[in-house]
Amino acid sequence: MKELPVRTEGAFAKRTNPLAHVFDEFVRFCRSHSLFMLHYCTGCGAIELPPAMTSRFDMERLGIQPMVTPRQADILLVTGYVSVKTLKRIILTYEQMPAPKYVIGICSCTVNGGMYWQSYATAKVLADYLPVDLYIAGCMPRPEAVVSGMRKLMGLIKTGKAESWKDYYRRYDHYLGNQQALFGERWQTPTDVLGEAQQYGLHGPETEGEHTALLQQVQQPLIPHRMRLK
Amino acid sequence: MNQGSRELQVWLDDLLAEIEQVEMRRKRERRMRLDVDADALPTLLELLKGKASYVHLSAITCVDWIAEGEFELIYHVWSYETQSLISAHTRIPREPGRYLSVYDLYKPAAFFERDIYEMFGVYFEGSPFMEKFILTEWDGPPPMRKDFDSEAYINQFFNWQEYRPDWLKELEAQGGGIAIPPDEQRYSRRED
Repeated sequence: MKELPVRTEGAFAKRTNPLAHVFDEFVRFCRSHSLFMLHYCTGCGAIELPPAMTSRFDMERLGIQPMVTPRQADILLVTGYVSVKTLKRIILTYEQMPAPKYVIGICSCTVNGGMYWQSYATAKVLADYLPVDLYIAGCMPRPEAVVSGMRKLMGLIKTGKAESWKDYYRRYDHYLGNQQALFGERWQTPTDVLGEAQQYGLHGPETEGEHTALLQQVQQPLIPHRMRLK
Repeated sequence: MNQGSRELQVWLDDLLAEIEQVEMRRKRERRMRLDVDADALPTLLELLKGKASYVHLSAITCVDWIAEGEFELIYHVWSYETQSLISAHTRIPREPGRYLSVYDLYKPAAFFERDIYEMFGVYFEGSPFMEKFILTEWDGPPPMRKDFDSEAYINQFFNWQEYRPDWLKELEAQGGGIAIPPDEQRYSRRED
């Protein structure tokens, strides 16, 4: 029996049962053609989105629509420079989005600080604090570039490669460590990320570490905000 | 400019020429620069507001002259009667960097003074709100002082990712790229 060539990898293995992943592929196809986009307009790149969304370039023909709330959005567009104060709000927004979620960094500023690389007030590498699926470089990228980036993201979703949101749960300690280094040790968000990691079955060896231990030490329980009329 | 405001302006020029501490330079028809000692500036503003209706304080600018050890404060006031802008320049020592507020004359001064206190660390006595304003989550030194080294700060707190696309390598091979290195641009990084 050992003499027989047995192929377990490659195209041959994939072809054994053509219907094995058909449901997954169908789900991914549907997902990639109905994306709700939350554009959290942080910088100047947001000005290129209205033409990309409206009749001139018409993003809706790709199935991409703007969405007003993070709770119903799939894509988080970070459009331009991210100041340290804004980054906190971006992380809060990102953690409120339901999985699967995708982050696109538009403009050079999200790559390496862009023209604000010397500024004390802006965060330089967005991927240190959030997992980024795709960058659309340019200062600023034209609507054609935005649409082409969206098409690329759709392709990634269709082939199952846009899975950075899983990375946020798997390596939460790394991201939290970078956030704490910037915002101080008392940084916390209302979202229970560790609980969500358990829920999604993504709790790995790098999910918890020294930074999450620090978070659990300083974490304050959430209290409802009292409404007052002045 | 109508007849009335022209008359007012002539009158104001005569008046200011008589005050010894004020050095006056009329740059254009509607722009005037006054250089005045720090202790005389609130009185001058009071005079301008009361007698020539310079009621609109557009901005207070602060400049850090680090080599001379001084802060320059510039009060831009506008009059609707004479339709002209006066920039009143004054200099205060960099240490301890304290000055009088003009909040009792101009209410918008509170806004500008709070901003200057945050960015330059100049404290204005008598200003109503001096808490953090824009940089609410900042506990470093005032960042717009010339001796704040922004580049050392970002190297301490931020990472960089490798980003060397092919088109940049091509540009650098042709002698392009960053023309003036930042070490030669920033005051805080100069050798002398």
